[in-house]
Amino acid sequence: MLYWVQEAFANIRLNRTTTVIAVATTAFTLACFGVFLLLYLNLKEMADSLHEDFQVVVYLSDDVAAQDISKLRQTVKEDPGVESLTYVSKEQALMDFREQFPAESHLLDGLGENPLPASFEVTLAPSLRSPPSVTRWAERLRGLPGVAEVRYSREWVENLTTMIGYLELAGFAVGAVLAAASVTIIASTIRLTLYARREEIQIMRLIGATPAFITIPYVLEGAVLGAIGSLLSLAILKGGLEFMKLQPGAPGQVLGLETGFHFFPVQVSLLMVLVGLVLGCAGSLISVLDMGRARV
Amino acid sequence: MIQLFHVSKYYDRRPALSDINLQIDKGEFVLLIGPSGAGKTTLLKLLFCEERPDEGQILVQGRNMARMRPSDVPFLRRTMGMVFQDFRLLPKKSVFENVALPLLVQGASTFETRRRVMDALKAVGVEHKRDHRPMMLSAGEQQRVCIARAIVNGPIILLADEPTGNLDPDLAAEIIELFKAINARGTTVMVATHNRHVIEQVNRRVVAISQGKVMMDKGYRE
Repeated sequence: MLYWVQEAFANIRLNRTTTVIAVATTAFTLACFGVFLLLYLNLKEMADSLHEDFQVVVYLSDDVAAQDISKLRQTVKEDPGVESLTYVSKEQALMDFREQFPAESHLLDGLGENPLPASFEVTLAPSLRSPPSVTRWAERLRGLPGVAEVRYSREWVENLTTMIGYLELAGFAVGAVLAAASVTIIASTIRLTLYARREEIQIMRLIGATPAFITIPYVLEGAVLGAIGSLLSLAILKGGLEFMKLQPGAPGQVLGLETGFHFFPVQVSLLMVLVGLVLGCAGSLISVLDMGRARV
Repeated sequence: MIQLFHVSKYYDRRPALSDINLQIDKGEFVLLIGPSGAGKTTLLKLLFCEERPDEGQILVQGRNMARMRPSDVPFLRRTMGMVFQDFRLLPKKSVFENVALPLLVQGASTFETRRRVMDALKAVGVEHKRDHRPMMLSAGEQQRVCIARAIVNGPIILLADEPTGNLDPDLAAEIIELFKAINARGTTVMVATHNRHVIEQVNRRVVAISQGKVMMDKGYRE
């Protein structure tokens, strides 16, 4: 084991320049992928929080009697898709309007009668917060007597969900291309090491070393390059994010995230390092298997 | 120990070895002689499983080389030692580390490795150079280290390809004496050479090859 580790680091020392290039390129490619991942995770978090606060407003007709309101309230409240329900009377709605828009409150004075309808502010159960479920639920409610209109921020939520879907797709595509680039670069670096040490490899074969014994140091070398590259990419992303947070109009604020953009949680960071490590191993194996095919 | 039946090997359709039949018994010392390009190295490569025959069968220690799986080759090589004309030592490793390599690949313990490497180095007379790098040694010393590496495993068969090719006559004689001492301990030794002095010095079985064919197979001159 110690021999393999020593050999792996000896290989790294042997090709310092190509090692630096491989690590830098891996770091850059993983950082590009990391940007997508950061954007995706933050938008997803934002969408989740929007879904949590997701409210549907059920406007009631003005001609509904108080006892019908009470029945309707009971019916809606007993719906399994409803988590909580608040009744807002016409008077309460007016007061809220005046509170929220004091400058415009005079507009209602001229009308005499309170034009604002009574409503139920409904918080849906988490299982019903996806756009298709909400649409179906709202349609069903519209059919109830006494319900004038059902409103929710459908477009915004649907757009965000669609955008996250596209981001997911783009992330996979970009990730696959960049992962292939990382593997190719690490494979080329390992190929150079193999070329530089071909005589040594030949001697090892002749004294009875198994292919696995010969291969392990090179796979370790690839794993080290990949892991260092991904650690460096995390540092680049963290640095970039902190720098952007200092700028006015930081992306988190623009998108309306109260706490701004978050960096990866520890688990995702560890996963990124693991991805780098696996890509490095894959690159090494490609070169080593190539060499194996060339000569058993 | 080693049997070749109608063995042929071709490179680019040109025969390097043609219809070779040979039997070498356990504990024999065989000199394989012939001019450069006669096929001596090809024959050794076939015995060491570095090449496969195109025709015929080769049995080494009762195992058919033609049917051997690639994964079994390293284990066969561990029972054999190989000495090269150009020594093939790892320049960045010390003499001790070079000789220890065959034991390392077999997973021998540190204690066992140390004991056997020192025994091998003593047997070839370079134990005092154990910490030197190969480049700091003379050609004769490098060849001794190469022999130490080949015998450190206690091989059943020792193959040597022109082991005296890069050495002056006195050093060559010393190396041949080493092979004789190794053979005296029961190891089957096969030395490929085109050095006439070696033939006179060894006075053992001689197999002459020319243009890929066995031209002469002669035993002891009693």
